Parts: sequence; structure tokens; C-alpha cells
Amino acid sequence: MTCEEAKTRMTDYWSRTLGEAGETEFNAHLASCETCRSEVSRVGALWQGLDLLPLEEPSGKVRDRFYEMLGAYRQGLAAAEARPAKRWWTIPAWQMAAAAGLVAVGLGIGYGVRGNGPLFGGAPAEVSQLREEVANMRQLVALSLMQQQSASDRLRGVSWAYRAEPSDREVLGALVSAVNHDANVNVRLAAVDALRRFSASPETGRAALQSLSKQTTPIVQVALIDLLVDLKDPQAAPELRRLSGNETANEGVRQKAQWALERLQ
Amino acid sequence: MNRFLMGGMIVGMIAALGALPAPAQNPVQNPLQNPAENQNSAQITVAFSNPSQPRRLVVKTLMHKVTIKGYDGKDAIIESSAISERRRRERNIPPGMHPLNVGRGGIEVTEANNVVTVSAETPLGGGDIQIQVPVETSVTVNTINNGVSVENISGEIEVESVNGGVSVTNSSGSVVATSMNGKVTVVLDKVAPGKAMSFSSMNGTIDVTLPADIKANLKMKVDNGDVYTDFDVKVTNEAFDTTESKTGKGVRIRGNRTTYGTINGGGPEMQFTTFNGRILIHKK
Repeated sequence: MTCEEAKTRMTDYWSRTLGEAGETEFNAHLASCETCRSEVSRVGALWQGLDLLPLEEPSGKVRDRFYEMLGAYRQGLAAAEARPAKRWWTIPAWQMAAAAGLVAVGLGIGYGVRGNGPLFGGAPAEVSQLREEVANMRQLVALSLMQQQSASDRLRGVSWAYRAEPSDREVLGALVSAVNHDANVNVRLAAVDALRRFSASPETGRAALQSLSKQTTPIVQVALIDLLVDLKDPQAAPELRRLSGNETANEGVRQKAQWALERLQ
Repeated sequence: MNRFLMGGMIVGMIAALGALPAPAQNPVQNPLQNPAENQNSAQITVAFSNPSQPRRLVVKTLMHKVTIKGYDGKDAIIESSAISERRRRERNIPPGMHPLNVGRGGIEVTEANNVVTVSAETPLGGGDIQIQVPVETSVTVNTINNGVSVENISGEIEVESVNGGVSVTNSSGSVVATSMNGKVTVVLDKVAPGKAMSFSSMNGTIDVTLPADIKANLKMKVDNGDVYTDFDVKVTNEAFDTTESKTGKGVRIRGNRTTYGTINGGGPEMQFTTFNGRILIHKK
């Protein structure tokens, strides 16, 4: 067995799906190859570490998170329906422009692939698979740490969220749930900041706005207002106006809301 | 001569009395109480069920000032005037009956799976709750109207108060602390490697002392205050207004809103947040 072959079988080795003969052959290679042996032990430790992460039991939070996502969708849907029904892509001129654009992109890709053909050689599938695996692993780490009993561990989970893909809806959902339901003020604060990683998603602004109307801890309210200003979300104005005029709200929060209104105009 | 003898006898008798052990009190027999409780009327002693495993203390109260100290022992010792209050109520229960609308009153102490929980969530009363636990115990405290002080503890420490100040001193491990209107004071002799920490207050100052060799990524957010430190902090977000000016012996970092920086090359995340207070980060 060559080192190349060994590398392709490492995952099967760790997950014990090589079969008896395969495993014997693999072990024989390990015995003769120092490089592979050290790699197997190094990455293997990480692999087993993942095993040790506690299984995520569907808790009450999953339900909360689901209804939060649903709420955000409904709000989004309502906002979309409120706009004029005519979508830009239904206008013939735009359709023709889009078609022309697609042809140009297609030609570009064609040239690119032909030009770099040998460089790509067989790798893309594996690279993208690897990238996906890494993304899944980060998601897993972030999600499971955010379920831990210790606030320090949940804070670590929130900082792992910065390493998730900006399109990762699972992690976004977990952050929104932490902002709304985590028992610890500091974890809620950190989760609000981490939402910036997902600022490209329209759900982020909606979730922040929804949370601002529910949140009662002043320092978290301040963090949410900062986030809404950074997202430049014009839909935040009515809620900010309500908050700045709310006599029962914390004085600092009211000042901050007033400040944010000026920034958003 | 006779008088001298008499005097000597009296002195001897007093000495003998002093040397006598204090008369043993009869433990109050009450089915509602933990059998491990101490006989002292204002004190409860609870054993952790598995001393070799990690211990945890959870305290929830509305009105009490909470003081927790690590000591060289293996039980949790809880002292409070709320305990005698509870005992008094329990003594008043007529034989064979149980309370219906009396409210629990006082304080409740339970132990399960190595977690000792002390809760006094009635809005009645106030005063202090003093708790001693083994030094290596993780501690979680929530209070509303009074302060929290944690001393000489090694573990994961989580403290929260609304109107009181919170302080963690002489401790090690990791701290997550918040107070809405009070000051947050933390002095750590040693930090647990790889642990994230966070300190926040709406109206109070954040005053944190860390070991000189700590490796950390700092995130410092102030709205109406400033950040001061005598650590050599490498500020990493140059995009913000971070004009530095020397004042006295410490370097003053003036951030626009959030300042990011690293100490000793960086490490786990440490977050400092205050709206009206200032942030002080001392080197121990």
C-alpha cells in the first residue's frame, strides 16, 4: 500500500469500516511508514475527540429555535408580499439581459476550465468534499458547545460560530436562540456580536429586531441596537422610536435608541 | 491560709468548667430537613455525594447578600438568618399536618449529583447568606437586590446580580460575571487554559486583574467610558479610533466603541462590556 492509498483509507480506518483484511493491510503500512503513523495518531485523536462530544439531545430549545425560524420566515414572507407583486425577473428586458449574462458567464467558465485544465486535475471533488467536512465539523463544535451547562463553554461555542460558513442556517438559528433564551447575560451579549458573521442574511436583521422587542436586559438591548445600526436596517426605525419614547425602559437604552435613530436616518 | 485555699479551689473549678466540652445539643428532628444538617440553628452542613467528582454550588436569591469562600474541607456549610427563620416556621407546623398557603419562606438547600443548590427566592427578608465550600468547586450565583462576593475558589465561576456589585477575588479557573447597576471586580491568580471569559455591566465599572503571563484575545466595548490597562496590549482593529495616550504609568486606550487586542500573542476570548462604566484591566 502506498502512502497515497493509505491516506484515502484513513477515514474508513477511524470509523472501523475497512474490514479485517483491509485493517491488517493498513496496519502493515503504518508499521513501515513513520509519516502516515504520525498523521493517523494526530488526526485520529481529533476524530476520537469528536466522538467524545456529548450527543445533542433534542431539547426544548430545538422547538424554540424552530418556531423562531418559522416566525422570521413568516415576517419575511409578509414583508415580501407587502411589496409590489411585479418582480424584476418577470420583466422581459431583464430576462434577456440575464440570459445574455449567463451566456457570458458560461463562456468565461469554459475558457477558464480549458485554460487551467491540468491544474484542476481530479482534485475539485475531493477539495470541496473536504471543505464541506471541515464546515460540518465547525458547525458540530459550535452547536454542541452552545448546548453545554457551563457559560464559559457556551461562550466558546459562540466564538466557534465565527468560523462557520456565513450561509450556515443551523448555526445562525442556534445564535438567535442563544440571544433570546440563554440564561446567562454574557452569553447573550456574545451571541448578539456573533450575529455579525451572518449579516448578509436578511434573517439576521429580522431576528435582531424581533429580539430587541423581547429583550429586557439593558446591556443586551444596547448590543442589539449597535448590531441594527451596523446592519443599516431601515426597518429598525419604528421599534427604536418606540423604545426611545418608552418611559419604563432603561435610561441608557433610551439614549442609545435615540442615537441609533439619528445614525439610521 | 483558708482563704487562699478557697480562692485556689474556685479558680480550679472555673478552669475545669472551661475545659468541659460544651453540652451536646439535640439535633432538631424534622422530616423536611436534610439529615446531614448541622444542629446550629442558623447553619446547615451538606455533604457532596461524590467527593472525588467535580463539585458545583448553585445559589439563587432575590434579596440576600451572598458570600462564598473556599475552605479546607469537604462539605458545603451554609449560614444565614434565613435558616433559623425557616426552622421557626417548620417548628410551628402542627403534628400530622403540612403547610398549604404558608409559603416556603427562608431558604432551601438540596444536594443532587454533586450539585448543592441553595435557593431563597421569596421576596421576604434579606440579610446575608454565607457559604463555605471546598476550594475546588464550580460556583453559579444569581441575585437581584444585593451583592455577591466569591473568594478563594478554583473552578468555573458564574455570578450575576441586578442591583448589587459582584466580586471574585483570590480565585482561579474561569469567570463569567455580570451586574446591571453594580461594579464587577475580578482578581484571578491563575486562569484555566482554553476557557472563554466575559465581564459586563450596564452602569458599573469592570475592574479585572489577570496573571501577567495570560494569553488572551480581548474584546472591549464601552459606550460612555474608557479602557485602561497596564498590560502590553496589541490593538488589532486599527480601523477604529484607537489613538493612544500615556497617562501616568498605564497606557490609555481610547476606543471608539469596540476595541480588539491581544495579550502575550493571543488566546481564548475575553470580553469586557460596559455602557456607563469604564474598563480597567490590571496586570497581577
